[in-house]
Amino acid sequence: MDFATFASQFLIGLSRGMIFFIVSAGLTLVFGVLRVSNFAHGSLYMLGAFLAYTAILWLGQGEAGFWLALLIAPLAVAVIALVIERGLLRFIYKREHLMQMLLTYSLVLIFGDLVKMVWGSDYKSLPVPQALTGSFHFLEANLPVYNAFLLLIGPLVALGLWFFLFRTHLGKLCRATAADREMVDVLGQNSTWIFALVFALGGWLAGLGGALIAPTVNIAMGMDANIIIYAFLIVVVGGLGNVWGALISSLIMGVGESLGVLFIPDFAIILPYLIAGVLLIIRPSGLLRSAW
Amino acid sequence: MSCSYSTVRAEKRVQKRSLVLRLALIGLVLFFLILPSFLSPYALYLMATIFTTALLATSLNLVLGYGGLMHLHHAVFYGVGAYAVAILMTKTALPFWAAAIIAPFAAALVALLIGWFSVRLRGLYFGMLTLALGQLVWAIVYRWNALTGGDDGIHAIPVPEVLTSLNASYYLTLIVLVLSLLVLFAIVKSPFGLILTAARDNIPRTGSIGVNVKRHQLAAFVIAGFFAGIAGVLFIVIDRSVAPSLLYWNKSAEVLIMCLMGGMGTFLGPSLGAALLVLLSMVVGVYTEYWLLVLGLILLVLVLFLPQGILGFVSGKLKSASRKEVD
Amino acid sequence: MLRVDKVRKAFQGFQAVADANLTVPSGMVTAVIGPNGAGKSTLFNLITGHLQSDSGQILFQEENIAGLPPHAITRKGIGRSFQLINIFQRLTVFENIKAALIAREGKTMNFFLPARRLFNDEVWDILGEFGLADFAERSASLMSYGDQKVLEIAIALATKPKLLLLDEPTAGMSPEETRKIVQLIKRLSCDQGLTILLTEHDMELVFDVAQRIMVLHQGRTIAEGLPEDVRRDAGVRSAYLGEAI
Repeated sequence: MDFATFASQFLIGLSRGMIFFIVSAGLTLVFGVLRVSNFAHGSLYMLGAFLAYTAILWLGQGEAGFWLALLIAPLAVAVIALVIERGLLRFIYKREHLMQMLLTYSLVLIFGDLVKMVWGSDYKSLPVPQALTGSFHFLEANLPVYNAFLLLIGPLVALGLWFFLFRTHLGKLCRATAADREMVDVLGQNSTWIFALVFALGGWLAGLGGALIAPTVNIAMGMDANIIIYAFLIVVVGGLGNVWGALISSLIMGVGESLGVLFIPDFAIILPYLIAGVLLIIRPSGLLRSAW
Repeated sequence: MSCSYSTVRAEKRVQKRSLVLRLALIGLVLFFLILPSFLSPYALYLMATIFTTALLATSLNLVLGYGGLMHLHHAVFYGVGAYAVAILMTKTALPFWAAAIIAPFAAALVALLIGWFSVRLRGLYFGMLTLALGQLVWAIVYRWNALTGGDDGIHAIPVPEVLTSLNASYYLTLIVLVLSLLVLFAIVKSPFGLILTAARDNIPRTGSIGVNVKRHQLAAFVIAGFFAGIAGVLFIVIDRSVAPSLLYWNKSAEVLIMCLMGGMGTFLGPSLGAALLVLLSMVVGVYTEYWLLVLGLILLVLVLFLPQGILGFVSGKLKSASRKEVD
Repeated sequence: MLRVDKVRKAFQGFQAVADANLTVPSGMVTAVIGPNGAGKSTLFNLITGHLQSDSGQILFQEENIAGLPPHAITRKGIGRSFQLINIFQRLTVFENIKAALIAREGKTMNFFLPARRLFNDEVWDILGEFGLADFAERSASLMSYGDQKVLEIAIALATKPKLLLLDEPTAGMSPEETRKIVQLIKRLSCDQGLTILLTEHDMELVFDVAQRIMVLHQGRTIAEGLPEDVRRDAGVRSAYLGEAI
C-alpha cells in the first residue's frame, strides 16, 4: 500500500476521532461531575443529527442553513438534556450505579421510539455544505474538506473546554466537584445548578457531535446504540471523568478503526472493541487519572 | 448458649412458609405439565420462549443479584451457545445431541476468557470490560461470514424431527428449565453461594476471612455463562435459526431489565420478569409498533418506584409482616 | 510470632509508613499507638495484605508474607477486624459467622451441599459466646453499632487465627460497650492464650491490656517495649504521650 492511501486513511481516522472526542467529552464530564453513566448520551447524539436535519429542511439547503443548524441543533439538545436532568436524574443521584444506568437506559428506549414517531424509520441524509465540499491535497494524501473541517473543530472544542474548565470560575467549581465529593455539600444549593449545567453542556456536546456527523452518514435509527458503546469505552479507557484522557483514547479509537479498514477490511469493526479491551486489561484504571 | 424462644418460633414460621412455597411451586410445575392441551400453537411457542428466556435471566442473576457484579453483557453467552449448535450442525457432521452438549461448554469457555480479565476490575470498570469484550465477540460473529453467516446468521438448522413439534419443544424447554433452576438453586444455597453473596456485600471482609474473591466471582461468571449457553441451545430448538442480534448489547440490557423487574434479590424474580416481558412485548405488539417506548416507560417506573422488583417487594412485605407477628 | 522489619509505604509522594519495626511475641497482647495519621492503619493494612509495602519484610512464623494477597494471609493464620464496621450487611448474623467457618474449612468451592446443614452447632456456640444469639436470624445491618463491632470481632475469631489484629476495636463505642470489649480481649488473651495485636486511641485501655507497646510517629517506630519503658521514654513523651497523659 502506498503512503498516500495510508496518510489519507490516517487523517480520516483522526477526523472521526474528533467526533468521538466531542461526544465522549460530554459523557466524561457528566460522569466526572454527576457520577452518572449516561446511556442516553447516544440518544442525545442521535437527536442532534435529526434536529440538524430538520433545521436544514426548514432553513433551506443554502450556506447559512448548515451553519445555523449547527448552532440550533446542539442548543436544542442541551435544552432537552436540561429537562432530563431536572425532571428525572436529580432524583436518583444517591442510588446505586446500576440503577442510574438503567434509568438512563430507559431514556434510550423512549427516545429511540420517539425519534421513530417523529421522523419515521427511513434513512435521512444531508448534503455536505457547498463551502466544505471537495478535497484537499496534503503532502500526497487526499482529504475531503469536510474531514479537514472536523479536524479543525475538534481542537477548537478541546480548547473551549479547557478554557471553561481552567479559566472560568464555574469551570473550576465543576472540577472541584468532580475531584472532591464533599464539595457537593459545601456548595449546597449551588451544586444542583452545577449538575444541571454540566448535564446540559454534556447534551450540547452530544448534539454537536450528532449535528457534525450528519452530513457524512445516513441519519437513522440505531445510530445511538453504536456511538454510546464507543463513547463509554473511550471514556473508561481514557480515565473516567478525564477530558484529556477522552481526547487521547478518542483519537486512538478513530485512527485504529480507520486504519483497520486498510489492513483487515473485513474485521475493521472489531478493532475499537479490541483496542478498548486490551487497553482496559493493561491499564485497568484508564490511561489518565480518573475524575481529574 | 441462648437459642431464644422467639428465634425458634421465627425459624418454624420460615420453615412453614418454605413448605407452602415448595408445594405451590410443585403445583405450578404440574400446571405447566398439563397446560399444553389447552394452548394454541402460538401460545405454546410463546411459553417455550418464556422458559428459555427465564433460564437466561436466572443465569444472569447468579452473577448480578447474588454476586453483585455489574455484568453488562450476558447475552454473549446465550449467543455463543446458540451459534455453537448452529455451526457444529451445519459445518460438521455432528448430530444435534452432541452439538447441544458441547454448546454450553463453549459458552462457559468464552465466559472463562471474558471473566478472567473482567474479575480483576471492580464496579463500573468490570461492567465496561464485559461490555467491550462482549461486543468484541459480537463483532467477530457479525463479520466472520464464512463461519457464522455474518449479518444474515444461519437458518434452517436441522434440529431432529422429534423436537420440531411445538409440544416437544414446549416440554423440552420446560424440563430443561426446571432442572437448571434446581441446580442453580442448589448452587445459590451451597457454601459457594453463601460466600458469593458475602462478597457481594463486602469484598475486603470476604478476603479477610480467607477467601480468594476473584476466583469465586470467576466461577460464578463461568457457571452463569454455562447456563446461558444451555438457554442458547433451547433457543435453537424453538427457532432453528441464529442471527448476530442475539448477542448485541441491547439484548443484554433486555435481560437485565427482566432481572430488575422480577427482583434481583430473589431467586425466581428473573423468571417472573422474563415471563412478564415476553408476554408484554407480545400483547403490546398487537396494539402498537412502539413496544420499546412502553418498555422504556416500564423501566423508568421500576427504577424510580420499585427497584427491588416485584418478587422483592412481595417477599419484603411478607418478611416485615412475619417480623411484626414475632414482636 | 510476627516481626515487621523496616517496612515502608508511600502514597503519591506521601510517606505514610517510613520505617516501621515491630515484634509481636506469641501469646501476648501488643499495642501500636501513635497520634492520628501516624500510619497505624496503613501498617495494619500492610500486614494483612490489603496494601503492598514498598520495601521491608513482614515475617509471620518466620515466613515472609509481604506481597501475599489478603486471603492467603488469612489462611496462614492472621485474622483481623477493621476500624470501620466491616461485616456482611445484608446477610443474617448467623450467616456472617457461617461464611467465616465455611472459609476456614476450605468449603467455599463446594457447589451442591446445602450450606444450611453445615457448622450450625459451632455457629450457635460462637454467637452464644459473644452474646449475639438473639439476633441470629436478623440482617446484620439492623444491629446496634456496638453489636456490629462485636460481630466483626466474632467473624475474625471464627477463622481461628493464630494472631488477631484489632484496628481500633472500641472506636465510636459507649463506655459500657468498651468495657465489654476490654473483658473480651482479656479473656481471649488470658484464657485462650491468643496472640493479639491492636491499635487504639484510648490510652487507658492500652495500658490496661497491652503487654508490649510500639509507638509509631510520622510513620516511624520511635519506641518499642514494655508499657512502663514506653511510658518513661523521653522521645515518646515529647512526640505524643506528653499531651495524652
